[in-house]
Amino acid sequence: MPHLGSLLRVARRLTVESASAEDLVQETMLLAWRGFHGFQTGTNARAWLFRILFNAFYAEGRKAQRAPLPVATVVEARLQEAVEIREALQALPIEQRTVLLLCVVEGFTCREAGEILNVPIGTVMSRLSRGRQELRGRLAPTRMKAPKAMEAKGAVG
Amino acid sequence: MTDDELDQRVRAAVLSEQIDTARLEHSIRARIRRPRAPRRAFVAAAGVVLAAAGGLAAYRTFFRPQVPLICVAAAQDHQREIVNGEPRPWLSDISAIQSLAEKQGVPASAVTALGTTGYRLERARLCFLKKQIFLHLVYTKNNAEYSVYLRRPSGLFNDSVRGEETLAYFETSRVTAVFASHGADALAFARAGARVL
Repeated sequence: MPHLGSLLRVARRLTVESASAEDLVQETMLLAWRGFHGFQTGTNARAWLFRILFNAFYAEGRKAQRAPLPVATVVEARLQEAVEIREALQALPIEQRTVLLLCVVEGFTCREAGEILNVPIGTVMSRLSRGRQELRGRLAPTRMKAPKAMEAKGAVG
Repeated sequence: MTDDELDQRVRAAVLSEQIDTARLEHSIRARIRRPRAPRRAFVAAAGVVLAAAGGLAAYRTFFRPQVPLICVAAAQDHQREIVNGEPRPWLSDISAIQSLAEKQGVPASAVTALGTTGYRLERARLCFLKKQIFLHLVYTKNNAEYSVYLRRPSGLFNDSVRGEETLAYFETSRVTAVFASHGADALAFARAGARVL
């Protein structure tokens, strides 16, 4: 099933718990299945699916996750930075987090993200800028200085 | 750290998360194959319709509005005087009937107006129904006899025609009227009468 992983990844960063994320993606795929006649051939199917996902998310009034995801007590050192970044991302306001997920992680352009979220491109760009700025502030200074060393060891990814 | 560097780290951190879609895909496919359940709105609407139908049936069974006592008296009077033919003094002259009507506060034109609906006036007399005086008119059509009881407006009924096939009643600004028959369609006569009275 195409794009399922991307949808679930973003849904997990939107919802309170992973079960809700799976419900959201399941609902998204069912809505897409039922509304497939509304999809215009030749347009971006991935963006269409994400638009359905966000519509479903907001329509249901799902609670955005604010609390950090639970972190395992023993985390391998090489994964710790990834966990911290995910936690910092999770602590961002949902508008900024959403734009970062779409543009930075999923690779949508600002225009595509604007269409998915139904907001002007200028709004996407300002949310992206504020999101990056806030993320920098939330990440520990040591982590901000260490990426190259960690990446060199293959620590991230 | 530049935006690109930050983006790269964020991307790597999020993409490093283990995502298992197999179970999710399985449940989605199962739901797509499953026949679609009726919409909640449809079920709710069906429930409302059933409840309304049940309520109406119960209302008709247990709380059916009673026929006004004055109409019951009219039906009994019709049974005695018309069906059973108990002897009574009757007026058959149209002028005398109209004069009698006027004395009781019933417009004389009402008597003739009813004659324009396809029913023929045969005779009339005064009678008491539940201690109230009425002008009892007898009309015929296709060998069936109909009793029409008229009096000046009394506030007994509202303006719409009510009742059933052999006993109907209504009130206008000019008269209070009760129509009775035995096996004939008094309700149709009442509806025709309501249009001209």
